[in-house]
Amino acid sequence: MPSNEYDDSKPSWADQVEEEGDEGTLPSPKETIKGNIKTVTEYKIDEDGKKFKIVRTFKIETRKASKAVARRKNWKKFGNSEYDAPGPNVATTTVSDDVFMTFISSKEDLNAQDQDEDPMNKLKGQKIVSCRICKGDHWTTRCPYKDTLGPMQKELAEQLGLSTGDKEKPAGSAEPEPAQPAQNKTGKYVPPSLRDGGTRRGESMQPNRRADDNATIRVTNLSEDTRETDLQELFRPFGSISRIYLAKDKNTGQSKGFAFISFHRREDAARAIAGVSGFGYDHLILNVEWAKPSNN
Amino acid sequence: MKPILLQGHERSITQIKYNREGDLLFSVAKDTVANAWYSVNGERLGTYNGHTGAVWCVDCDWDTKNVLTGSADNSCRLWDCETGKQLALLQTSSAVRTCGFDFSGNIIMFSTDKQMGYQCYLNFFDLRDPQQIEDNQPYLSVPCSESKITSAVWGPLGEFVIAGHENGEINQFSAKSGEILKKAKEHTKQINDMQSSVDLTMVISASKDNTAKLFDSTSLEHIKTFKTERPVNSAAISPIMDHVVMGGGQEAMEVTTTSTRIGKFEARFFHAAYEEEFGRVKGHFGPINCVAFHPDGKSYSSGGEDGYVRIHYFDPQYFDFELEA
Repeated sequence: MPSNEYDDSKPSWADQVEEEGDEGTLPSPKETIKGNIKTVTEYKIDEDGKKFKIVRTFKIETRKASKAVARRKNWKKFGNSEYDAPGPNVATTTVSDDVFMTFISSKEDLNAQDQDEDPMNKLKGQKIVSCRICKGDHWTTRCPYKDTLGPMQKELAEQLGLSTGDKEKPAGSAEPEPAQPAQNKTGKYVPPSLRDGGTRRGESMQPNRRADDNATIRVTNLSEDTRETDLQELFRPFGSISRIYLAKDKNTGQSKGFAFISFHRREDAARAIAGVSGFGYDHLILNVEWAKPSNN
Repeated sequence: MKPILLQGHERSITQIKYNREGDLLFSVAKDTVANAWYSVNGERLGTYNGHTGAVWCVDCDWDTKNVLTGSADNSCRLWDCETGKQLALLQTSSAVRTCGFDFSGNIIMFSTDKQMGYQCYLNFFDLRDPQQIEDNQPYLSVPCSESKITSAVWGPLGEFVIAGHENGEINQFSAKSGEILKKAKEHTKQINDMQSSVDLTMVISASKDNTAKLFDSTSLEHIKTFKTERPVNSAAISPIMDHVVMGGGQEAMEVTTTSTRIGKFEARFFHAAYEEEFGRVKGHFGPINCVAFHPDGKSYSSGGEDGYVRIHYFDPQYFDFELEA
């Protein structure tokens, strides 16, 4: 037990250690009772050597109880609590945080509360997956109507496709159709190259490209000094030209010696081939032939 | 309300019980000691030391003289409530699952588990006959070959024991002849707990099939059903209100994989007549294994898988609350 004697005289370090173990340097616990409030003040040293003052206040209640209960209240403690002081031992009894009973006034409240509490319930409301057959909240392969509704829907889609497809085509050629609707129709992933607009890619940028290919000639064995304007002068007599492409070196800007000339009409191109092929131009003999359709 | 937290056990609580006046609360857990607490301030009166296995059940007699505990160390022990001394040791061949004093405190019953090749037995001892305890020979031993008893309480007047079985059956066993007086098969899964009302006219059974059911003690007539979405571990009837409190949660083995928020570890209050839930109290970190009403109905306690016992004194709102029918 702590006592004041040790406070000033510390004969050896061994005693000191012992004292510290006994908390001998600490003031003894005090207990004061004022009215129905009991205050217990204790001092403690924690592992870091810091002193702590613990003040606990108790409310003393007087309750009337039956004789048997009153008698039991004065029973001696036993077992593991044999040496406990009167009153609750903090090692075994603590007062917990305030909790409240949550009242549920109606069934809806209860359900609402349930949903708040369960994060999975929030997700349940939303459709994560949607069946393509019945628009239900499950995978298409697991659709209960797969066998009955599925084939029916396919037939229906085919019929619709025939009637609407005709209408769509001219509209599609006028302006490029967005790929989205095509994807929605089947639901399957369609690579961009296979989508509706895929085959005429870049159409809007190069109108009538296919027509060009038919009326395009390739001119080779051009001199390095050739300019587009020279080619224009050379081929204009055969017909109106829609496009001239002269291959040029990226760095030097000089001609690479070949060019493509697109005419509006194929006849013009044919005449140009007949007229210019073998024509001496700038000390070189030009070679003119049909341009092979490009692979892409 | 500020619950009083009792930390007297190192493992999950298996049963808690008030004495008749409610001034003492007994708790047993899967560790080896039984604790006695003053319910008014949570002060520990003492511990009953001696068991060497998990303690499954506890009971206290009418005048708080003796305490009975049953344990998985294959013994049922009788203690002096005041001093904590062991008065009698009844050895069994398998774990003792449930135990109880009859109204007189003279006759005790306990059931043993179907375990290690031994059958489930319901044993009756008369404490007035010291020879029975000395010889460890019950005056009546009823074998239950079908399904083991998982919970049992004494019926009114000490005439029979109402036992809940692993298969969901509820049977009345006569304390005199051992024969089955009445049967009820309302539950589909194991009965986890049986508790009687303060006047012993009704019993409530808590079952793994997510329901608790109210029965008439004598006729075993099914009166009410209280449904939840988790297994019910324990249920108790309020002595003063038409209320029922239920504790449960998912199975202990699934606790670590579920968050506390969705674990449904609350004590849930149902109106006994309308069968509707009207309130919840949170607090435990795991499923509630046992609930008990104070005999004055002004407080209740719960013991959980987390090893804590919590004594709750109701706020005035609880008594004012009326359910909209």
